[in-house]
Formats: sequence, structure tokens, C-alpha cells
Amino acid sequence: MLEEQGPEWMSEEVKTGTTIIAVEFDGGVVLGSDSRVSAGASVVNRVMNKLSPLHDRIYCALSGSAADAQTIAETVNYQLDVHSMELGEDPLVCSAATLVKNISYQYKEELSAHLIVGGWDRRGGGQVYATLSGLLTRQPFALGGSGSSYVYGYLDAEYRAGAGRTDTQRLVVDTLSLAMSRDGSSGGVAYLVTIDGDGVEEKVFLGNELPTFYDQ
Amino acid sequence: MACVKSPLYSFVKVRCHLTNDVTRLPYCCSPIGCAHPRVHLKTETESKVRAVRKAGASSEAGKMSRGSNPGFDRHITIFSPDGRLYQVEYAFKAITQSGLTTVGVRGEDCAVVVTQKKVPDKLLDASTMTNMFKLTARIGCVMTGHGADSRSQVHRARVEAGEWKYKFGYEINADVLCRRMADICQVYTQNAEMRPLGCCMMLVSMDPQEGPVLYKVDPAGYYCGFRGIAVGPKHVEANGYLEKKLKKKPQLSQDRTIQLCISCLSSVLSTDFKATDLEVGLVSKEHIKFRTLSESEIETHLVAIAERE
Repeated sequence: MLEEQGPEWMSEEVKTGTTIIAVEFDGGVVLGSDSRVSAGASVVNRVMNKLSPLHDRIYCALSGSAADAQTIAETVNYQLDVHSMELGEDPLVCSAATLVKNISYQYKEELSAHLIVGGWDRRGGGQVYATLSGLLTRQPFALGGSGSSYVYGYLDAEYRAGAGRTDTQRLVVDTLSLAMSRDGSSGGVAYLVTIDGDGVEEKVFLGNELPTFYDQ
Repeated sequence: MACVKSPLYSFVKVRCHLTNDVTRLPYCCSPIGCAHPRVHLKTETESKVRAVRKAGASSEAGKMSRGSNPGFDRHITIFSPDGRLYQVEYAFKAITQSGLTTVGVRGEDCAVVVTQKKVPDKLLDASTMTNMFKLTARIGCVMTGHGADSRSQVHRARVEAGEWKYKFGYEINADVLCRRMADICQVYTQNAEMRPLGCCMMLVSMDPQEGPVLYKVDPAGYYCGFRGIAVGPKHVEANGYLEKKLKKKPQLSQDRTIQLCISCLSSVLSTDFKATDLEVGLVSKEHIKFRTLSESEIETHLVAIAERE
């Protein structure tokens, strides 16, 4: 009884339980995430922004182990900084996604994080790339994190190709809200980032601002 | 710990802790097992001596009346008997080879660098030729001298700045970056294997604490902050001109700073410039990020100078 164990959550790995979404629309992308960071059963941070900038118009959404995901994002941010200086212009979204994929694949065994990369560049417009387990694929929308399994069906049914900016933002917030209400590891507030040719818009939806559904 | 002189040399790949370059240094392998780098690089020096003798440069050696050193103090960066590093001095001469003069001035709330733009070949696409480079969003530089060496130094600076941001979490300051580049230049003046770079870097930045700053690094590894400085074939005259104009420490607005740089160049080079003959880079309080002026903006300043005269 001499040993001080400390609370259980101090020895659990910090995971971002998470729901992350990225959806492409005509002229840009919308990325969304919840804000809960859990260590086992306890919530370590209830307002973490999981949408991390890789460059001016390229963001990534973090899921899985918080440390692993943040480290990948920081490393790619550094590589893109030097790359864009050398190029003399903004980097392509596929460059950012490829850099993320390369790290995810090379350290597949050691890391457990999944990043979704979304952004806008002059050549391809709005693009979303999924990099799960080190693959690289461009998709019209991508989901990730533990909460995503609850809302695949909803997004499949509601996604419309060529939708506009506000419709896509509403779709993302609705999806996040549904996932957060069903997944124990997702919750808190919803963060939204909208990227298009004119710039980046960051929005937060507090708990009481989230859309409600039949049971609320 | 004494080392027995041994003719056994083996080359060991080491990473230079200052420049992060992988170089080969010969280590002395002696019977008692001590290993230390032999600074005078016997084998490399030997091959250089052979080359010098073959080329019949012994006439030069003959002039060096202090006979012990037959003249490779001019060929690699080791001290000459009178305490000079000839290679470093030659590097300075290489800066003037490009034929372009650069002027930089720090104003009240801006820092400006102006350089000549010479298109030597009619077939050349002038839009692809530039001596102004962005190192980070806030720090820009102008390179004077050997073109390829310039690009190498710029690339190195960008990587250093990126690494700093990654390691320490905030953007590097201009004076720290300048010091880092100067330290790297200094290593080249000590390593016999690598020659100094024949180019000079002039940095401008809006420092978050200090405001506008102007720094210069030269091939000797010396760096300093300046209120005004010129580099290139006419730097002596240009520095004299700037000293006169900045003697009374005037408060220079952005327009006046740019125009001072341009008039300095046109006065020492005795030419009337067209907008296509100049490149202007600046940072200012209104526009913190380093940018280069477009032709029309340069034209506006040239017109303003002409009107004032």
C-alpha cells in the first residue's frame, strides 16, 4: 500500500476519440471536428481544436493518438514551409497530403493517428484527401475518428456534389452534431474551418448552438 | 595525451557540428589509439602542392621570399605569413565579378534594398531572373555576387529558418538567422576542403521588437546591422554617398527611403535608370511581409526623384 498509483487516467494514452469530417464544395472545402480529448474514460480537454493548419490554405484534421497526430501535423507544416519558400508560391494540397501519407506509411507500426487533409490551391480548387494507414486517396468527402462510424450513412445520403458553401457548412455541422450525440468519445464544441480562394474562415459552434434532432 | 606521429591516415566521415555538413577529416591512427583531426590535411595539401608545382606556379612561390611557405596560402584557406587569408579576400573580389551593386537603407518604419538588374543576353527571360529572395514570410534578402553560390546560401538560410520554427515553435528573428549564416560562412574560412562562397547576403526584416532591421553577412563570416550599406563593384562610392545622406540621422519615410536607395545607385553609377533596370525589395510597418515592387511602382518612384531634381 506504499505505492502511489495515481488516478487511472494519468497512465492511459491520450487519444482524441473524435469525429472529424472534410467535405469538398464548389470552390473550396469545409473541415469540421469535435473538441473532446479523452484519456481512457476521462475527458482531458473539452475544447481542443483538432483542425490544424499545415499552410495558409491547407488544413488537416487530427484523430487517433493526440501526440502522434500533432507531431505529424507539425512535421508536415515545417516541410511545407521550406517547400513553399523554395517554390515561391503556395503549395498544392496533394503535396501536403503526400507528405502526411509518407510519414504515416513509413512509421505505420509506431504511430496510431489518422489525418484528413483538406485545402484549396490554384490548380485543383478545393480538395479532400484521406491518408488512413498510409494510403492516399482523393475523395469528395472523408470521415475519421471513432464517431465517424455512426454517421457514414447520414453523409452518404445527404452529400450532394456541387453544393454551395453554406449548404456544405450546414451539412458538416449536422453530421458532427449527430456523431457527437451518439459517440461517447466525441463531444464538446464543433469547430469548422472553411477554405476557399479568398481565404480561411474559422467558426466555433458552442454546445447550445449545435443543431438538435428528434431526441433533443 | 601524446600522439605518436604516424604516416597512417584514414579518412573518417564526420558531421561538422557547426554547418551540419558531412565532411571527411583525416584522423591520425597511432599505435596508442588516440585519434585527433590533423588540421593541415596532409594528403589534400599534398595533392594541391603537386598541382601547384606542375602548373609551374613556382614563380609565385619564388616571390614569397619567406621561403618556408611556397604559396599555397593563396590556394586554400590557411594563414599567409603576414596573417592574411587570401582565399577569403579573393571571395570578396568574386562578389564584384557579377557587376551588380546593391544598396540597402533602414528607414523610420521600413527597410529597403535595391539592386541593379542586368539582362546580359537578349534571349534571356528577364522574369525568371532575380536576386531578391524570401527567406521567411517576414525576412527577405538580396544576394550580390556569384549566382550559384547565392542560391546555395539562400536555400541554406531557408532550411535553417524552417528548422528553427520547427524546433522552437516560433519564427526566427533576422539577427539570429544572420548570425547563423555568418557562422556557417566562418566555417568555410577554416575548412580547407570547402571554399568560401563568393556572395554577400543583405537581409531586411520587420523585427517584432526592434522594428525595421537591415543586416549584412559577408564571405568572411562577419555580420552586422546597418542603417545603410552598399555592396558590389561601386560599394566604396555608394557607402560614401550614404554616409553623407544619413549623417544627420534623418527620419526617412518609406518613399524617401526607396528614393534614397535609387538615387544613391544612379549617382555612383552615373546612370538614369529605367524601371526594368532595378529590383526593389522592402518590408514596412504597413506591409510586414517581404515583397518586391512591381515595375509600375518603381516607375512612380523614378518619376518622383526626377520631379524633385
